[in-house]
Amino acid sequence: MLVYTARRLAVAIPVLLAASVLVFLMVDLSGDPLADMRLAQPPPSEEAIAAAEARYYLDRSTPERYWLWMTGIGGNGDIGLLQGEFGPSVRGGAFDIGEQLASGISVTLRLVSAALVFALGLAVISGVVSAMRQYSKLDYTLTFIGFLALAMPTFWLGALIREGGLVFNQSTGTSFFFTIGANSARVGNMTNWEYFLDSAGHLVLPTITLMLTSYAAWSRYQRTSMLEVLNSDYVRLARSKGVRNSVVVRRHALRTALIPLVTVATIGFVGIIEGVVITETIFQWRGLGYFFIEAVRAQDAFALMSWLMLSGTLVVVANLIADILYGVLDPRIRYE
Amino acid sequence: MENRRKLLAAAAVGVSAALVLGACSPPEDSGGGGDGSSVTWIVNQAGGGWNHNAPEGGSVYVIQMLHGVLPPTGFYNPEGQWEWNSDLIVNTPELLSEDPMVWEYEINPDANWSDGEPIDADDFIWAWKMNSGKEELCAEICNSRGSDVDVLIESVEGSEDGKTVTVTIEEGTQFPEWYTFGMDGLYPSHLAEAEGFDLDTPEGMLESSHWFNENPVTVSGGPYIFEGTPELDGRIVKTVNEEYYGPAPEIQEIIQQVNTEEGSWVPALTNGEVQGGSPASWSDDVITQLEDAPDVEFGIESGGSWEHLDVNLDNEALSDRALRQGIFTAIDVQNIATRTYGEKFPEVEPRTNHIFSSSSEYHEDVITPTGQGTGDTEAALELLEEAGYELNGDTLELDGEAVPALRLRYTAGHVAREIIAELIQADLAEIGVTAEIETTDDLGGTLAEQDFDLMIYGWSTTPAFASTPYNYWHSTSLSNHGKLDVPEVDELTEQAQNVATSEEAAVFANEAAALVAEEAYVLPFVDTPSFYFYDTNYLGNVTDNNTQSRRAQWNQHEWTAVN
Amino acid sequence: MSDIDSRTASGKGPAGLPAGGDVNRGEELSQVRMVWRRFRRHRAAMVSLVFLGLITAFAFVGPFVWPWDHTVSRDILGNQPPSLQHPFGTTNQGNDVFAQTMRGTQQSLKVALTVAVLSTVIGSVWGAVAGYYRGRVDAIMMRVVDVFLIVPLIVAVAAINGNVRGGTTWYAVALIMCLFSWATIARVVRGVVLSLREQEFIEAARAVGARASRIIFRHLLPNAAGPIIVAATLLVAVAVLTEAALSFIGFGIQPPDISLGKMVEGSRTAAFTRPWLFYPPGILIVMICLTINFIGDGLRDALDPRQTMVRR
Repeated sequence: MLVYTARRLAVAIPVLLAASVLVFLMVDLSGDPLADMRLAQPPPSEEAIAAAEARYYLDRSTPERYWLWMTGIGGNGDIGLLQGEFGPSVRGGAFDIGEQLASGISVTLRLVSAALVFALGLAVISGVVSAMRQYSKLDYTLTFIGFLALAMPTFWLGALIREGGLVFNQSTGTSFFFTIGANSARVGNMTNWEYFLDSAGHLVLPTITLMLTSYAAWSRYQRTSMLEVLNSDYVRLARSKGVRNSVVVRRHALRTALIPLVTVATIGFVGIIEGVVITETIFQWRGLGYFFIEAVRAQDAFALMSWLMLSGTLVVVANLIADILYGVLDPRIRYE
Repeated sequence: MENRRKLLAAAAVGVSAALVLGACSPPEDSGGGGDGSSVTWIVNQAGGGWNHNAPEGGSVYVIQMLHGVLPPTGFYNPEGQWEWNSDLIVNTPELLSEDPMVWEYEINPDANWSDGEPIDADDFIWAWKMNSGKEELCAEICNSRGSDVDVLIESVEGSEDGKTVTVTIEEGTQFPEWYTFGMDGLYPSHLAEAEGFDLDTPEGMLESSHWFNENPVTVSGGPYIFEGTPELDGRIVKTVNEEYYGPAPEIQEIIQQVNTEEGSWVPALTNGEVQGGSPASWSDDVITQLEDAPDVEFGIESGGSWEHLDVNLDNEALSDRALRQGIFTAIDVQNIATRTYGEKFPEVEPRTNHIFSSSSEYHEDVITPTGQGTGDTEAALELLEEAGYELNGDTLELDGEAVPALRLRYTAGHVAREIIAELIQADLAEIGVTAEIETTDDLGGTLAEQDFDLMIYGWSTTPAFASTPYNYWHSTSLSNHGKLDVPEVDELTEQAQNVATSEEAAVFANEAAALVAEEAYVLPFVDTPSFYFYDTNYLGNVTDNNTQSRRAQWNQHEWTAVN
Repeated sequence: MSDIDSRTASGKGPAGLPAGGDVNRGEELSQVRMVWRRFRRHRAAMVSLVFLGLITAFAFVGPFVWPWDHTVSRDILGNQPPSLQHPFGTTNQGNDVFAQTMRGTQQSLKVALTVAVLSTVIGSVWGAVAGYYRGRVDAIMMRVVDVFLIVPLIVAVAAINGNVRGGTTWYAVALIMCLFSWATIARVVRGVVLSLREQEFIEAARAVGARASRIIFRHLLPNAAGPIIVAATLLVAVAVLTEAALSFIGFGIQPPDISLGKMVEGSRTAAFTRPWLFYPPGILIVMICLTINFIGDGLRDALDPRQTMVRR
């Protein structure tokens, strides 16, 4: 399995590189990051613009810039991924790409893992229930809810959920739900418990927003694979032997039916990235999604590239984990 | 198999629990949470750097973030009158001589930075060198974003232990708004010295400029001081500066929170997460939400910036003045005003002077006499026919050839400009001119490359105006995007910024504006209104100030707490 | 990146269609009839089909009937609540929102259909070729797919959109979205083809010396039609949502043209102040996606009850 893992990772590197070239080309051709500066009043001097161009390597050609970003050879020591430098941000020296990414990850992981856990839990429950009661009213209702969740634009849904949270707060006279940020602005003198409550209050609404789409897709998977197993010969055999229904479902059917979901969910972790961009905008979290949006707006090529490398690596790793998990859970699979 | 699965499950649960609960204890340097009144204020965009003299930091947002920490020499009050910062400067600086211009500041002897170092001439000298635009004072001109007055200064000198500062302007030049020197706030130059930068060398100055851009100041010369690590794109906590030499503010803690999603503002306000904001954007629906929100005070004021249509004179068709006049006449500016801002701000009216809004004492109506902006299709066609154009069916023709379609551009996503563009398109269709609307993501670049025929965009303004005509219209100015080149205009704009008083400057500015109107080069639409809001359960004595970048936060130190 | 899809798919067999032998016309017809009969039994899918038909008619026929178009008119008063003349009210600048909704639906559907058709064609051929040849060709082709799967669609669109001159018309948006959507289809098709190619009828075709192109286009792709159709159907819904998401972050179709996503984006602060601006476009998006998902579900049941959903 180690060999397998190593080989998979080796294949992933050229893919990541090709993706980085692709994105770099697109971002680099997409406009002038210093546009705002040129527009300032009073107009900045030509020296100031030239200095900025040199500082951000905008005076180099596109291939040169890519080379610099990757190796840092010929740069000013603030660039070169291979040397551990992410390059200067066109948003100014106060914006350290590496630091911002690091702080973004911790914020985003909190949101994503919460959404993942709840989406998975709910998907399993509703998928199993749907399959057990196939073609019942409950099945139809759950199916409809799932399809509805799949059909809603995330930002539209997010706005509705935010209003829902506010209505809850107002009607109960409490202030449990928060609508902006990952934490309150004032956290300095909170006890750990208060801080935890504060975090939770900020986490709920965005988590619901983010998890609904994944939940909807996964519960369909779960329903399908559960149905497959329930109709399989060995479950029928178990039933015909008089094993109690609940035992059949729990011990035999569910375990087998979970296997595909595990892999699908691991890959789905990646699909969530796009949802994160929207959710973090609506709820004003300062995570990777926000990092991405702001980098696009500022046409910050180096920041975008670092973001892509991170998300790309996550994709690779998640897929690898999915494959390995698949093998662990399903003994029929063997790796060459 | 069984055990492996359990192990896996346990690991998965463990990891996710750790991630979720990682949110369990507050980070160390988070700051915030002192006792007493605290106010959270929305800043609607992230800042780019901590040095407001540099292009990255030179945004209204950064100036708002640094407000209360860096002491300014003075400011414009809401009426547009200049007021000196009497906490810092004890005399009323006046011109001691007109040629060369000389003036003097007497600094409050008690005025110290919060670390005990005096605020003195060194800080003024740093500000001047930073913006001097002179290589011999500052390498690479210190990456300054440019300044009107600082570049004209010959010398800044300290006396009486640095507590008296004398500023001298280069001989032969004058500048009517000399007093604006230092109005965005002075930096503590001694911090740069402590970092080891030699501020007497150009290289040392450049390094200090970068250093101030990358690091928030750790001391304060104003009523508030940063607590913890302020974040340009997140959260900034300011608490009362105990060492302040002026009157202590009532609000104990100001938190500024960057929030780019306007849909979340009013929900957060009614949910008690923020207490106010003065965004640099406009939304009818946000204002409607404010109208319905309980215990919220809000106001709408015009000013701060104005929208206009620029013409690219290098376009062959548009190089004909008659066509430009026809186009400007056919556009109904009153209709534009009503449909952009009129719904929530019925007081909005067409702007009739490029330099001065109608509330200014120097305002002269230069547009109405030309008949431009009336939307009078008949008059426009008459004008055009006199010049040899002919309306043939739906198309305007010159010598039998149709006037080519004009590319009308504006910034993608700008709601008001979107409205204006569509209205102009409809207006121009009436005189047979086709306007093709094309948005841009890159306003500055599009303007710089002259990649437009007609462009809708805005200029921001302050009560200081002397150099404005030059920047807009001088044939060598980088901001003269449509390439107007009229010698009389060049001359008038040069004169406007080379006199001693604003009154004299205004005369030249108005003459230049009248010429530009005649040329049909720029058609002003409206002064952009802006709004501010705050929660009356927490706050009192908040007023907007559109003459300053700081907007409603300008008098933070005078805000009152409500219990 | 992952071989999961192929592996799960390879266990499956060719998607419900009887995969034995060549497909001749008579058989095709009876198959279509059989699928249709099974589809009709799916009540939600049938109802959805009717609704989607109505929405399409609303979008494409409506503008010919309705007196206003989506552009600004001097004759329309700005910011009016719903009335008989303007059932969804008017915008500030004086657009009839009802006409805008029709136009927006039309543009969103056009984008979605273009994306679905183009991506499906490209993705199917790509996946089939990779799956047919296997080995090194397959490895290289699938790594190309991986490259496009790694780059998030919004990165690509956001990056490209700013630069393409006039890159904000519906077909430009559609083309760019397509560039980054075909890869998912390619993966699904490859998985199906991998298992199909082992079956006797393909071996038989090869044995009689049929050329690769003939085998791919005459035998493999027709027999993979089931999963392809389902995936393409669902891609329509995904494309509608993606277009909306792009509009939300400011990179979709630009005015004076309009799409449903752009409308929702423009009115997202109006949910409680001017609900007539907020709800119609949003509900239309939900309706389109909901009906398409149900149709996809019906098709899946009719073609192959075991096909799973594709969502990107």
